[in-house]
Amino acid sequence: MSLNVGIDFGTSNSGVAVYRDGKVHVLPIDGKNIVPEVVKTILYITRDYQHFIGQEAVELYYKQNINRQRRFVQKWTGEIDYRGADMHYVRDIYTYVDELQPGRLLQFIKTALRSEKYQGTQVFERYYYLSDIIAGYLRLLKQRAEELLHEEISGAMLGRPVRFSTDREQDSKAQETLRQAALEAGFRQVAFELEPVAAALYYELSLSHPQNVLVFDFGGGTLDLTITRLGDAEQREVYASGGIGVAGSDFDRAIIEKRMLHHFGKGLVQHDRAIQGLIDTIPDWAALPDLSTPQARAVLQRAIQAGEAPVRLKALESLIFNDLAFSFYNMVEETKISLSSQAVALARMNEKDLDIWELYMRSQFEKDILEMYQQIEQVLLETISVSGMQPRQIDAVVKTGGSSNIPLFSAMLERIFGEHKVIASDVFNSVTAGLAIKASQSM
Amino acid sequence: MISQDKIDEWIHEVEQRPSSAELIIRYIANRLSELTRRDEELATQNIELISGRKVEEYESRIASLEYQLELLKRQLGGEVVLPTEASQEPDVKDMVVVWLYNPLGQVLKIELEPGEIGANRQMARLADAVSPAGMQPVVLASSSLEELLFIFDSGRTVRHPASQLPASASLSLDWGQAIVEEPRVREELAAIQPIARMPLYELCIQASRRGYVKKINMAAFTSHVAKDYIGKGVLLPADKPCCLAFANPQDLFVMVSREGYIFSMPAASLPTAIQEVIQLAITDHITSAFVAGQQSSIIFITANGKVVHRETGWLEPARSFKSMGQAILSKSRREAGVRIVGAAPVGQGDYAVFLHLDGRISVAEVSELLAAGSLPGEEAEPSIVSFTTLSLPEGNA
Repeated sequence: MSLNVGIDFGTSNSGVAVYRDGKVHVLPIDGKNIVPEVVKTILYITRDYQHFIGQEAVELYYKQNINRQRRFVQKWTGEIDYRGADMHYVRDIYTYVDELQPGRLLQFIKTALRSEKYQGTQVFERYYYLSDIIAGYLRLLKQRAEELLHEEISGAMLGRPVRFSTDREQDSKAQETLRQAALEAGFRQVAFELEPVAAALYYELSLSHPQNVLVFDFGGGTLDLTITRLGDAEQREVYASGGIGVAGSDFDRAIIEKRMLHHFGKGLVQHDRAIQGLIDTIPDWAALPDLSTPQARAVLQRAIQAGEAPVRLKALESLIFNDLAFSFYNMVEETKISLSSQAVALARMNEKDLDIWELYMRSQFEKDILEMYQQIEQVLLETISVSGMQPRQIDAVVKTGGSSNIPLFSAMLERIFGEHKVIASDVFNSVTAGLAIKASQSM
Repeated sequence: MISQDKIDEWIHEVEQRPSSAELIIRYIANRLSELTRRDEELATQNIELISGRKVEEYESRIASLEYQLELLKRQLGGEVVLPTEASQEPDVKDMVVVWLYNPLGQVLKIELEPGEIGANRQMARLADAVSPAGMQPVVLASSSLEELLFIFDSGRTVRHPASQLPASASLSLDWGQAIVEEPRVREELAAIQPIARMPLYELCIQASRRGYVKKINMAAFTSHVAKDYIGKGVLLPADKPCCLAFANPQDLFVMVSREGYIFSMPAASLPTAIQEVIQLAITDHITSAFVAGQQSSIIFITANGKVVHRETGWLEPARSFKSMGQAILSKSRREAGVRIVGAAPVGQGDYAVFLHLDGRISVAEVSELLAAGSLPGEEAEPSIVSFTTLSLPEGNA
């Protein structure tokens, strides 16, 4: 018997689910993640062309890049033709390439589907087309799912946004690329369903008559909003869709910027631009390994010896050079998640010269993300306006995704639409779950 | 640091949501208790500093380093005038030291007078499990006047004068008595390398378990050592650094794999960037890397105690990288499971030290081993875990 799964291939996180015996099983696809049911949409390709995804990719990226040696060599990358009135000459262009780079980290793969220009990228000696990159990721996702299910998977119901692009041709090209990648990854059957429809599928199954529904899909990387008419598959209509690239990972970043940087000398080291640059890079997890250069270490050690905020700079040195970044970002994310269920959480880390003890309250968190909160509310109101409806004409709001559990956003939805209309999905990732149901029904 | 602003925020939170008070108090109380403990530890350290105990420890370390410096200068033929020479020359005797270490950073030191080294005798015994947590130990011999470089698989290094590390109290050893140079998270101790003679050479060659090699100019290497980071010298994620060797450009660098393949090449021809120089089977790895130097003989020791001897002239230096290697074992012996635990260049009067699977550490005169062709009393079953050679200090040979 062929086994079909639902795959939510997201911008930041992905997930796989299977529908069996009347139940959805969202697979714990990334055992190393804080939430094992989601896996980061990250592909790390090593110099010997091995592929890694999710937390394993992040961990390996840190392990291989922190404290590594670098050697920059000039590499010819092309030439530029200069043509003036009566002159024409050609100039060679060189770029500096780190020839000891152990691997390439590829993020935001799904976003590349929206781009008309992006074809692919060079990874060491091989050229990877976009479909190769996505296929590399999906292949590992499939492997992991098969290991968990002890069964071969033959088909996948993939989620897709309402629009990849406003240009119809680009939109169908993006879906075709995704289909091609899934086939390359080893799925024999591939079908698509709109992500918001999948997210509200549970809810739709319970409807006896059509309703106007707002799907509030708020995960790790983006907020996706869709106003649609559900309840009659024949007359399904999408009135409006919108969204913003602000979500869980941006909140983690805000926590680091506003509450963590002073542990590493922010505000104490005023005049040293090199050190300020190091501190300001901390919120960017992918850039952190690039800081672990001998020059950066020398700058820090000089400042420590000069008695310039020595305890904080020692903590900064420890974060950069002791492979602690992984634990640090996880600690911040855990603290944020705790604040969804309790009013006070403790951000705590005590390892190798790094001693963070930060009492963090929900009220502080709400203050720290205020600007993003306002942006989100504005996008929400704009999407409602584009649909031509008033909030009262929306019959239900289905919220899904980890960030939709943040009390501040639940309160916002209840304020705009009324408490009784806001429905929390009963599974962590209802897009993945909905896709799994769809896969079992229609493939 | 807890600023007044933060305290105000806590108070504000409690005023707004009294239900938060219990959690806040619990967190602060735990922190207070943690800080009190830490304060006590710091106060203890402070007392040690004030009482001069720490100062004495550091003074002794400095004196030993100065002595090492003097030794190096003597080897280079320079004159030494140290201001503290007359009053503070430490009483460090030139003894033979046998080290036993494992990837967990546990190091056992056995100190012996040169006169105590006798042929074919048991030197000590490891009563404990030979390989705790599956971490295979390595045996190494050096002079007590050496400076040791501890190399971790992350590329980090730590230096210790051999004389400053405490020796085991008895010849019945267990890992509980070991000095621990603790690896950091996800780190293992990859090797220990004596480096006192380092300035006599122009190149340092770093080899990995999977047969990758890079050579480093000695000036650059010295600067890396000073910064306590020499790099991993690996390209593959599953690879690890395994050996260091010092050489002059004309010296012949040799690497020997567990399945009995040998790579040799003049040091000057080795790559500067990390490169695979020998293609090893997936089950194989490098066990020894050394410079043939002036020694004309090389011995290879198998896990079942056989001794294979070859003259340096037998080696066929590789002409290109990614060679398949020169085989020391016949196909049938390899297929029968014979494996090389180590190899080393040897001279007249050298000794070989062995760590056996049952925990025995034994010593044998190389000339007798060559005559017998195997270790006396060894079974056909693999019983040698690690092997090294030692030369007696001048005047004792």
